[in-house]
Amino acid sequence: MTRQEIEREIKNIFQREFEVENPGMDDNLREEYGFDSIDAIELLLEIEKLLGFELTQEEKKLAMEIRTISQICDYVEKITQIKATLAGDK
Amino acid sequence: MERRVVITAASAITPIGHGREQIVNSLLRGISGIKPLREDELISRHIHSKVYGTVDYPINYDFKRHNRKTMAPCAYYACQVAKEVLEQSGLPQEFITSGKLGVAFGSIHGSPVTQRDIYRNLFGATDNNAFKTIGAVDYLKSMVHTTAVNITKMFGITGRVISSGTACTTSSQSIGYGYESVKFGMQEAMLCGGADEYDTITVAVFDNLMACSTAFNTDPQHTPRPFDKLRDGLVVAEGAGAVMLEEYEFARRRGADILAEVVGFACNNNGGDLILPNLTGITNTLQLGLENAKINSDDVDLVSAHATATKMGDIIEAQAINHVFGNHPYVVGLKGYMGHTMAACGSIESILTLYMMQDGFIAPTLNLEEVDERCAMIKHVQKIIQHPVKTAAIQNFAFGGVNTILLLKKLS
Repeated sequence: MTRQEIEREIKNIFQREFEVENPGMDDNLREEYGFDSIDAIELLLEIEKLLGFELTQEEKKLAMEIRTISQICDYVEKITQIKATLAGDK
Repeated sequence: MERRVVITAASAITPIGHGREQIVNSLLRGISGIKPLREDELISRHIHSKVYGTVDYPINYDFKRHNRKTMAPCAYYACQVAKEVLEQSGLPQEFITSGKLGVAFGSIHGSPVTQRDIYRNLFGATDNNAFKTIGAVDYLKSMVHTTAVNITKMFGITGRVISSGTACTTSSQSIGYGYESVKFGMQEAMLCGGADEYDTITVAVFDNLMACSTAFNTDPQHTPRPFDKLRDGLVVAEGAGAVMLEEYEFARRRGADILAEVVGFACNNNGGDLILPNLTGITNTLQLGLENAKINSDDVDLVSAHATATKMGDIIEAQAINHVFGNHPYVVGLKGYMGHTMAACGSIESILTLYMMQDGFIAPTLNLEEVDERCAMIKHVQKIIQHPVKTAAIQNFAFGGVNTILLLKKLS
């Protein structure tokens, strides 16, 4: 996925699952939309569906510091790259 | 220090309507809320009783996703009646969040629908995905205090939380313990009640004990039949009720609409069997309630009986009422209209009693056509009567041998 595709998918998830319309890329999700730890767990499930594979506990823990849509996109990009690298190594 | 406690708001979602107007209309017109049991594709086909006190009308919820995500059906009911009671009370926002308002609210065992979904997923799971079938919010939706804390979250209430889970005395205890919290100065106000959702497992529990009505499966409106010769058991129901309790002087000073005073509450246990009704235990509860209210049995004009329409329960209750109150007060079994709303029954029946006190009428026990001679020693109501009710008793009894009585008085 390109960065634009990731951004579009993440925004779709926020609209569909969290009823957040057009969030700013750098909005603090907790402060602006009351996005909490329960939402973070649900977001990770949606990201797993988007990527088509399960995240490890370590990968999930990396996501707990995320505060903005921009950071979520960085995270998805990073996870995708790690998986691609691992697949390449094999 | 003992302070006076008054009710300043009330609302209920019941099988006979949502809110005062619909409920009073159903009482006046003798409308039943009992409908056929719905197919649940799990156990309903094995249940002998095919009737249920159903909330089958739409409710216009306006809850944000931030709140909805931890709410099971029972919490939707609870938050809706809580919202209506908060609005009706006129309590200012700064008071609601001040810590001076607490919540006493419960359901029989959290959310059975959520628990069922957990087990359904687990039993359908493979070794690889069983763990993942348990959702992040499943516990928050199904824990025993889910109704109470979804209310505190939605409205920012920061006072004490009491969450009784004593089956059919859950919400009579909510009101009773809320009353004691205000009476003894621990809170200025308490939002009290109970809620339970549509659930066939509860029906199966009573059905297995042969305590459910089965003889009116094709004619749901004619069951349950409290105190009637043809009664054949209870009908499980869903719903919610909430009241706002406030310290009397506080309510008076702020010009609140005072609906009634809670003058007494008692709760005890039979100290033995967990299911069978117990004449000594129930009689003691009623006497303790009168002592707590510092009134005489003759002062009570109306008794809202627990009267589930089981064979033995109604007889024992009639005997206890007769022992304590004689043949003086009118006795109504409100479950004839709605069935047994489980955790909600104490609050719903208190609210219906309150409405009758306010409007000066006593609704008849629906489906009481021929009084069982073993229940005949008390003053039954078989047709609607216009009668002023100054003091009323609301009785509830639960599995586990728990008994409660609440005493409400109309302020002159």
